[in-house]
Formats: sequence, C-alpha cells, structure tokens
Amino acid sequence: MHIASGGATDVGTVRTNNEDSYRIVAALNLFVLADGMGGEAHGEVASSLAVETVVRHCLDGQKDPNTPLSGEAKPGLTEKSRRLASAVHLANQKVFTSAADHAEQRGMGATLTAAWIDGMDLSVAHVGDSRLYLLRTGVLQQLTSDHSLVAEQVRRGILTASEAESSTMQNVLLRALGTQPDVEVDIEQVGLFPNDVILLCSDGLTRMATEPEIAGTLQSEPDPQKAAQKLVRLANEGGGVDNVTAIVVSLKSESKGWFSWLRRGADKSVGGNGTAGGH
Amino acid sequence: MAKLSLMFEDKLVKEVPIGSKPVRIGRSPDNDLVVDNLAVSNDHARVYFDAGRLVIEDRGSLNGTFVNDLRVERATLHDGDSIWIGKHHIKVDAIGDAPLQYQSPKKTSAPMINETMVLDTKVRREMLQQAAAMGERTQFASDRIKVPTMVVLSGKTDAKEYILTNKLTTIGKSAMATIKLKGWFKPAMAAQINQRDDGYYVGSGAKTPAVNGVAISGPTKLNDGDLIEVASIRFNFIVRE
Repeated sequence: MHIASGGATDVGTVRTNNEDSYRIVAALNLFVLADGMGGEAHGEVASSLAVETVVRHCLDGQKDPNTPLSGEAKPGLTEKSRRLASAVHLANQKVFTSAADHAEQRGMGATLTAAWIDGMDLSVAHVGDSRLYLLRTGVLQQLTSDHSLVAEQVRRGILTASEAESSTMQNVLLRALGTQPDVEVDIEQVGLFPNDVILLCSDGLTRMATEPEIAGTLQSEPDPQKAAQKLVRLANEGGGVDNVTAIVVSLKSESKGWFSWLRRGADKSVGGNGTAGGH
Repeated sequence: MAKLSLMFEDKLVKEVPIGSKPVRIGRSPDNDLVVDNLAVSNDHARVYFDAGRLVIEDRGSLNGTFVNDLRVERATLHDGDSIWIGKHHIKVDAIGDAPLQYQSPKKTSAPMINETMVLDTKVRREMLQQAAAMGERTQFASDRIKVPTMVVLSGKTDAKEYILTNKLTTIGKSAMATIKLKGWFKPAMAAQINQRDDGYYVGSGAKTPAVNGVAISGPTKLNDGDLIEVASIRFNFIVRE
C-alpha cells in the first residue's frame, strides 16, 4: 500500500495566534494533531507540547519496544494502539505538569487526535473535539466521538444532532489533555482498504464547513497536500473564526492490474515486506 | 449602550445590545439570546425599555427568572444587576440606559470565537444530571445499556450475529471486514456501518444496501428492527437492552 499525506494549518481570519499544532511522521505513517486552549500564547504551548510528546514516545517505542508504557493497557489492542494510547497519557501528564509548574500557564490544555497506520491497520487515539474522518467509497465517516457537552447530550438523546449544531455551548469540552492528572483516551482500531482517505482536522474546519463540502473537497482533489490546503481555504471562506488544521492521508494500491499479481507472487516468494502478513 | 452579557462559568458566552425592540431570552433558536440548556424554557424571558426604565419580564417559564437571587415575574433592572436563568448568569450593563435605534432584523448569531473551556468533573456531572432531569426524551435513554446487533437472517457469513462495538463496522469478503461474507462473488467491502452520536448509519461500499426494501441514497440511520439487504445477505438490525 502506498501512503501519501499532506497537512496545512492557518490562523483563520479572526484570531491573532494559531493554537493548533500538527506533525506528520511519514517514516512511521504517524499523524498527530492538537488544538490548544488557554489565553495568551499558552494554547500553543499546550498543543505543541502534546504533539511533540506523542511523536517522541512513538519514535522511542519504535526504536526500543521495551520503552515503558504509560497509563493502563486495555485488552485486545494491537501494539501500535497500545503505544499510541500510552503516548497520549504521557502527553496529558506533560501538559498537566507544565501548567501546574508555571502559574501563567494555568488552565491551558489541548485536544489531541492521532492516527498510526501499520500495514492495513489504522489505530486512532483521541481526546477532545478534533476529529478523524474516513472517506471510503464516497462515504465520509467520523471515527472519533467529540468529547463536548453538546455531543454528549446528543448521545444521551437530550439534543438532536441539528440542535447541537446550532448550540451556543459547542465550545464546552468534557475532556481535554492537561486539565486533570490523568485522562481517559479513546482508542479505535479500523481495517483499511485501498483508496481510503483519512482526514484529521481541528474544529475550526468542522464548524465552518459541512460534511458534504469536506467530502466533496477530498473526492475532487487526489493530492493530499493540495486537499489539506483546500480544506483550510474552505474553512476561511466559511468564516474562519477559529484556527484551522487539516491532515489528509490517502492510501493507494502500489500497482494496478495484472502486474500487481506478478508482484504479489514475487513478494510472497521472498517472504513479503513485513507489512502484508501478520494479521 | 445598554447590553446583556450571557456568562457561563465566569466566561463570556455572548453579548447582546438592548435596542428599541425587546431582547427575547430562551432556549429555542429564534430568541435573540439563546440559552441552550434544558433548565431554560423555549420562551423564557424578555428584557426591554419601558418608559425609560429597563425591565425584565418572565414569560411564565418553568424554572423561573431570578434577579439578584430573587425570583421575579417583572422587575426593573439596574446597571450591574445579575439575572439568573438555570445555571446561566446574565450581567446587566445599563450604562447610558437610552434605547439604541433598532438596526437590523438579522439576529446576532452566536459567536463561535469564544474560548474553548473544559468542565471539571463535578460541574460536568451536575450539568448532565440537570440536563437529564429536564430532558423529555431521557426516560428512554442512558439507564439501560443498549447493544446494537446485526442478526444474519439469510446468506453465508462467518457468524450468525454481530454486536456493533466499533465506530466503523465493515461488511465484506476482505480479511479486514468485521462482518465477513463468504462466497465467490462477494465484494471485498460491500457496505459499512458508522456509529455516530445519534445512532448507527449504514453507507454504501461496492454495493448499495437496501433498508426495509428501499435502496439507500446516502448514509441512512438505522432504527431498531430495520431489515438490511446487501450482496444478497439479509440482516436484521436489533437494539437489545
């Protein structure tokens, strides 16, 4: 499977500083996005600290699989999912400790959404109201749950989805990194298919653009870097009242037609490349 | 310029100027100041100028309107007064007192620029409990654990039924599929089911599924008892409690 990716971020048209952070680690197929909060420049501190901590811990785990895991391990998770969950727990501790140690950083926090692709397995770790979408056969599907008050009210049947969209309480989060000593991390594991497109984005996109607009942009622009830039533009054209960040990842078959049959045969005869097997 | 400032947790949620028209406060979206909480009535209260005085009038709300901790039906407001509606606090800024000229019929929309905030555990629990206590629809929700299940009625699959536990359930022949189809001509990825906040949605894959005999035209919300047919396999979507 060939994986191509691109990312873009923008301060938006209203705010003066960008509190979003993201990293693409192409060598690991690791994608991390965080949306910071807390006045002055501290949202930026929180989101970049969170992203860097997640990336560092995954790189460490890749180099040395014995790197200790943080937080409790849930059963039934792949190695990558466990490492990713651990990385988010660690990021939470780092942001929480930094806020506790620096009076001026009090109240800072961040959302965090991370995706790690291993062969055909996608691991997603998530806290907050940034989102991960999977576009497959033209259907845009959200693989993360927003940890916001309105989303929780929808899940409990108190609000309808459309009531939630027009709510004035959309900015109230129930979970974020760095506000408590420990945090519950959502982990999702999904099997991938060729031609799947993955989108990680901050709420600056999903509040400014509709899901059909997002799906349309992803479908009409095959180049992930250009698609990410177009999504950022879409958010700014829709009002741009918040920072906006998008990471687009697309999966393509390495080769097409009868040639792939030959290649698959060849790969098998030499024992594969280590990503195709093991399921 | 006189104005009302809707506060929540000591943070400013929204400001509305008080013009020559009454400021309508309530939960339904057509109000000038929408307070989105179930403790708030759809048409809760109004604030307006009457003979040069700023007045608040309760519209027969269920949970009442409070000015400086006193429940009121109609009261004169003064600069610095606090209005309480549910857990929301509205600060009264009456400096100038003169009514503004009514300018635009366009409602000031909710500012989305406001800072993101996180509720601590205690406040969160209180808010959700309060919301649950107020919610008309909650008698059916949350108490019992719901188990959404795809029961195979006919066709070859690797199990007789599947409990939907993930955000995405894939139906197909592929090894990556959750609901595995058997047979030569089955597609690798026939259809998919996405769990969203308000329920489960079936979407197309290589095939277009039919729900209760009708081919879907986009992601379609499943209801308890729905019949789903895809790639010649028939399923029943059942929510067990």
